[in-house]
Amino acid sequence: MALRELSSLEKYLGLKKPNKYSTQGDKKVPVLQNNQGPPLVGLITIACHLVKEAKRSDLLGESAESRAVVQQWLEYRVSRLDGCTKEDSKTILKELNIHLQDNVYLAGNHFTLADTLMYYGIHPLIVDLTVQEKEQYLNVARWFDHIQHVPRLRHHLLPVVVLRNRIYTGRHH
Amino acid sequence: MKLFVSEGNPHCLKVLAALELTAVKCDVQYVNHEDKVVQFLSHPALPAVLLPNGQQLFSANAICRYLFEVSGQNCNDHCNQWLEWEVTVLQPALLRALRTAVLQGKGSDVSQILQSPLNFLDQSLLKGSKPYLTGEAVSVADVVLWATLHPILSDSSFTIGEHPSVKAWFDQVAAVHSCQSAVQKVLQGKGLQAMKSYMQRQPAPPNSQCRDAQPCNN
Repeated sequence: MALRELSSLEKYLGLKKPNKYSTQGDKKVPVLQNNQGPPLVGLITIACHLVKEAKRSDLLGESAESRAVVQQWLEYRVSRLDGCTKEDSKTILKELNIHLQDNVYLAGNHFTLADTLMYYGIHPLIVDLTVQEKEQYLNVARWFDHIQHVPRLRHHLLPVVVLRNRIYTGRHH
Repeated sequence: MKLFVSEGNPHCLKVLAALELTAVKCDVQYVNHEDKVVQFLSHPALPAVLLPNGQQLFSANAICRYLFEVSGQNCNDHCNQWLEWEVTVLQPALLRALRTAVLQGKGSDVSQILQSPLNFLDQSLLKGSKPYLTGEAVSVADVVLWATLHPILSDSSFTIGEHPSVKAWFDQVAAVHSCQSAVQKVLQGKGLQAMKSYMQRQPAPPNSQCRDAQPCNN
């Protein structure tokens, strides 16, 4: 899973030469074989490295504040979302839904790497949601739809139909 | 900028040590473990920072990164890798060890829980043959990993086996004045017992099975 994410990220970033990856351990943690030094281990570490390689550091945040916010959401992705149970996933969707009520993107007003990796990670959860559930997490659905339409980003993932307006008006949350 | 911390919360060790070390100007407010500083999170998350731009940080590691970056020390690939390992491997193992030791009084299980991450850390330090994790000077990675390991490694009642490189590195970071003063502020000389009320309020990790089973970096 992580390897497909990294390969999609490479394509989105427009990196011409695909890197060589392997995985280690039961959790299949990605490893990037690096010609210039020791291998890099871990999804966030490698993703940040690729972004810098593509000279797209803007995706890591434009100020010290936003860089910290981006890193925080990357951490949320690997510590909370990865390997989460059904019960966890509801909490995560609820938290993101409240956060995205006042934020266009995870780190505020700018699209960043945090949106990309959260989108890749949350895709399986969104696919499984019923129409009613998608309405319950309307802000997440709106954000998700926005991200899946970012050019060249979706790659290995199927598009998910997201309604942007309520159809079940009787439900209140 | 405003930092919210609570006493007896091991995650606050990181940020208070980083704050003093980087000498960044910041108001510090002590609150209760249950106080919800970051509204949208389901469980109260401390430490938390209210940034000058109005955004909030609820991850101790992100706060430490921010403090180091503001003081001119950026995190490189190597440093990122240690922070990611800390979050995905070391922290879950440590929290599990603390739960068994503090809440269930089974100090003897701690060694087994931490064996694999400590072996990994020991080998990496040995291979790196540098005094600190990322080089010759204390970095954000050292502060973060030291703080996570502090509750267990500073308590001589645990027998966790021989990790000579870890011990040398840990003692060196622990001797930094800012680290000592953070320990005093958070644990107030009470050691593990200071964390009891914090630990009792933490939800048991629902996915501890899959997360703690095997460390990934081996």
